[in-house]
Amino acid sequence: MGGGDGALTPPRWLRWSWVAPAAFLLVFLAYPLVVLIVTVTRTSEGALLDRLASPVIWQVTALATVQALMSTVLALVVGLPLANVTSRYRYRGRAFAQAVVTVPFVLPTVVVALAFRSVVGVGPSQGFWIVVLAHAYVNIAVVTRIVGAQWAQHSGDYELVARTLGATRTRAFIDVTLPSLRSAIAASAAVVFVFSFTSLGIVLLLGDASTRTLESQVLRQTSVLLDFPGAAATALVQLVVVTFVLLLGAAAARRAPARRSRPVSLRPLPPSAIGRAAVLATAGIGMLIVLVPVLALVITSLRGSDGWTLTWWTSLSSIDAGTTRLAPPAAAIATSLVLATVTALLAALVGGLAALTVLTPGRPRLVALIAVVPLGVSAATLGLGMLLAFGRPPLDLRASGLLIPIAHSLVAIPLVVAVVAPGVRSTDPRLASVAATLGATPSRAFWTAYGPVLRIVMVASAALAGAVSLGEFGAAAFLGRAASPTVPVQIVRLLGRPGEQSLGVAAVLAVILVIVTLAVVLIVDRWSAPARSSVRAPATVTP
Amino acid sequence: MHALIPRLVVPALALALVGCGDGAPSPSTAETPESTMSQDAAQVESTTVRLLAHDSFVLSEQLITDLKAETGIDLQIISGSDAGTMVAGAVLAAGNPTADVMFGVDNTLISRAVDAGVFEPYTSPELASVVPELREDTAGGVVTPIDYGDVCINIDDAALEAAGVPAPSTLDDLIDPRYRDMLVVQDPGTSSPGLAFLLATIARYGDAWTDYWAALRDNGVSVAGSWTDAYYGEFSGGGEGTRPLVASYATSPPAEIVYAEDPKPEVPSTSVMTDGCYRQVEYAGVLAGTGEPDGARTVVDWLLTSEVQADVPLSMFVFPAREGVPLPDVFTKFAATVEEPLSLPADEVAANLTDWLSEWGAVMGR
Repeated sequence: MGGGDGALTPPRWLRWSWVAPAAFLLVFLAYPLVVLIVTVTRTSEGALLDRLASPVIWQVTALATVQALMSTVLALVVGLPLANVTSRYRYRGRAFAQAVVTVPFVLPTVVVALAFRSVVGVGPSQGFWIVVLAHAYVNIAVVTRIVGAQWAQHSGDYELVARTLGATRTRAFIDVTLPSLRSAIAASAAVVFVFSFTSLGIVLLLGDASTRTLESQVLRQTSVLLDFPGAAATALVQLVVVTFVLLLGAAAARRAPARRSRPVSLRPLPPSAIGRAAVLATAGIGMLIVLVPVLALVITSLRGSDGWTLTWWTSLSSIDAGTTRLAPPAAAIATSLVLATVTALLAALVGGLAALTVLTPGRPRLVALIAVVPLGVSAATLGLGMLLAFGRPPLDLRASGLLIPIAHSLVAIPLVVAVVAPGVRSTDPRLASVAATLGATPSRAFWTAYGPVLRIVMVASAALAGAVSLGEFGAAAFLGRAASPTVPVQIVRLLGRPGEQSLGVAAVLAVILVIVTLAVVLIVDRWSAPARSSVRAPATVTP
Repeated sequence: MHALIPRLVVPALALALVGCGDGAPSPSTAETPESTMSQDAAQVESTTVRLLAHDSFVLSEQLITDLKAETGIDLQIISGSDAGTMVAGAVLAAGNPTADVMFGVDNTLISRAVDAGVFEPYTSPELASVVPELREDTAGGVVTPIDYGDVCINIDDAALEAAGVPAPSTLDDLIDPRYRDMLVVQDPGTSSPGLAFLLATIARYGDAWTDYWAALRDNGVSVAGSWTDAYYGEFSGGGEGTRPLVASYATSPPAEIVYAEDPKPEVPSTSVMTDGCYRQVEYAGVLAGTGEPDGARTVVDWLLTSEVQADVPLSMFVFPAREGVPLPDVFTKFAATVEEPLSLPADEVAANLTDWLSEWGAVMGR
C-alpha cells in the first residue's frame, strides 16, 4: 500500500528523497564493508566457505534465535501497556514517565549489568533468563516509543464504533486496536529481536554458554584470535538472519489494515475509578521496573566504605586531574551532548527521508527497507571497516570528530525509519488530495496532510537517535579521540581499575547520564507537545 | 601532497604481491624503502605524532607538555579501545596505518602483530637501560618493551578470615575443596586477565591443564565476562560480590589505596597470591608506513625516559621497564613482587590460542 492509493501526487522533491539516504548508506555502510572485505581477503589465507561449514556458527545462531525471541516477547509484554499509558492519556507525570522509560536504552551495558546484578543478587547471576530480562529491560523504550508514536494518533473512534455495535472492551481491543497497531508492533518487535540477537555487552557480562550471540563470536574472532576470515563468515550469517527478520517485520507491517489516523490530543483519564487506577498503576509499575536498577546506581554513587558520603560527587572535578585519562566531567557531558545532537539531526534527516520513500511509487521505496540493514551488520566489523575507510589517509575523518556521529547514525537510522514509516503510512492521504483540489501546490498539500504527523514521529525518532548516541560505547571508544571521551567511555575507563573511588565516580557519571537523558527527552517531548494538543481530531474523518 | 600517492600505492602493491604469492607472512621490509624516503625531515620541528594506545593508557599531562617543549612533538593520543581490538585494527591497516606509533600491544598478541607487518623495525637506544630480563624482549628487534605487570590471584583477606580458611598460596590450592565457590576468573575469550590466567595454568601444568580446569570447575569456579564484572560484581573485595578470590593484577592492592576515599586506609584490604602469576609485557613500536617515522621513533624513546617511566606506576599501575626507576611508596609496600612469573613464548601462544580457547570452552561448557 503506502502511496499506491493514487490519492497523493507526491511533490517533486519527495520523489528524490531516496537520494540522500541511499548516498549516505553507500558511502558510510557499503564502502567501509567493501574496504574491509578486500583487505581481509587479500591478507588472510583461509576460505570463507570453510568457516561457514563450522558447526559452531549454526549452534550459536540457534541459541541466539531462541534467546532473542524470548527477549522480544517479554519486551512487548512490558512495553505495550506502557506505550498505551505514556502516549495517550493526560495526567500529571505522564511526560516524566515517558522520559523515564527511555533511560534503560541509554545506560551503557556495563552499567546495566552491574546495576542488574546488584538488584537481582549474586546467586544465579548469569545465564539465559537474566540475559533475556536485561534485553527486555533495555528495549522497553524501543517498544514504547515506536508503538506509542502510532498509538498516540488513535482517536478511539473505531473502538467507539465497535463498542456501539456491541463488542466488549476486550473484543474491541483485540479486533480493532491491536490490528491497527500491527505495523508499529511488527516494526518494534523486529528491532528488539535484532538488538537481542546481535547483543554484545549484556551477553558478555551476564551471559553464559547458553546465551552466546554471533556478535560475541565476531568479537572473539577479531580481537582475541585475529581470525578475520572466521569473523567475516560469522558476520555474514548474522547479516543474513537479521535481514530476513527485518523483511519479515516489514512484510507484517505492510499487511496491517489501513487505518487513516490524524494526530489527536492526549485524552483525559478514563472516567471510572478502576480505569483511572489501571492507567496510573501501569505507569507507576513501569517506572518502578525501570527505576529500581537506577536507584541501585544512585545508592552506589552515595556510599563509601564508611556509609553515606558525597565524596564521589565532590571528587568529580578533581579525579585524575592532570592526567590524560579523564576529561573533566563537564567536558565529557558536553562532548556526549554535542555528539547526541549531531546524531539526532543526522539520523532524523537521513532516516526521515528514507522513511518518506514509502509514500513514493516504485523502486525508491526499497531505500526504506535497505535503511534498516545496518542493524544487522556486526558492530565490530563495521567499526573495523570505518577505521580502514575513514580513519587514515587519504580520508581521515577521525580528526574531524564526525566519525562517531556517523557511526551512531548508522545504528539510529533504522530506529528512525521504524518510527516514521508506520506513522506516515497510516496517515490519511486524502487530506492532501483535498488540499490539492483546493489549489494547493503538491508541496503545500503534502505538508497539510503529513506535517502534523511528521512533527510527532520526527521528534520521537530524533529523541531515540540521540539516546542511542548518548549511551553508545563501542564506536566512541574505537573511533573517537582519547582526549575527548564521551560519558560512557569515561564510565568504562573508570570501571576498568580497582578502588572504591573508581566505582563511586563511575556510578556518579551513570547517574548524571540518567539525569541528562531525562532532561533531554523531557525537553524534546515538550517541544513536540503543542502539535499534539493544538490539533483536534476531526471527529468526522471516518471511512 | 603528491608524496601521499606513492605512500598509498606502494604498500597496497606490496600487499597485493604477497596476496598473489605463496601466502607467507609479509616481512615489513617490503614497506620500508618508501617510509625511509621521508627521513630528510631530520629535525622534528612542531610535528604532530599520533600515538595509538589502548583505553588503559594514561600519563600525566605535564609529560606531554614537556615533550612538546623539548622536541616540538605535539602528541595526539588515539584510543583504540581495548588492546585486542586495537591490534586487530592495526593488523588490518598494516602498511597504511591510522597512527604513527602504537603503545600497549602485549606479549600474547605481539607475534601476530609483528608477523602481519604492523611495525617498522625499531628499538630504542634506551633499551640498554631496561631491566636485564626484558632487554632482549623485542620480538627480534622490532618493538621496545615499556612496562610489565603480573596477573595474579587477588585475595580479600577479611572475607577469608571470616570464613576461617587460610589464604591460598599456590595454583594447586585453588582446587582444594576448602576454596569451593570462592574463586572468580574471567573468560579468556573476552578478557585480557582471563587469558593471562589461562596461559598461567598452561605454562604451569602443560598438557594437563585441562584436568586442572576440570578440577576448578568442579570446585565451583565462576567465570565472568570481563575484569570489571569479576572484580566489582563477584569479588567480595571490590564491590558487592561474595567470592573472596579473583584473577586480577599484582598491583590491584596499591590501586585500592590510591583510589580509596579520603582519608586513605593504611593498608589495602586485598592481597596477592604470588604463585601462578602470568607476566604481561607491553611494547611500543613505530607503525610501518607512518609519515612521521622520526617523530614516531622519538616518541618510543620518550616512553623509556626516566620521567615517563617514573610516571607509569601510578598512572597505569604497571612496573616500569627501565632499571632503577624509583617506585612510589604505595608500590614498594603493597604491590606484590613476583619472583618467578609464568610466561609462554609469544609464537607458541599465537600458534595454539584458537585450540586452547576451544578446549577451555569444552571443559567449562562455555
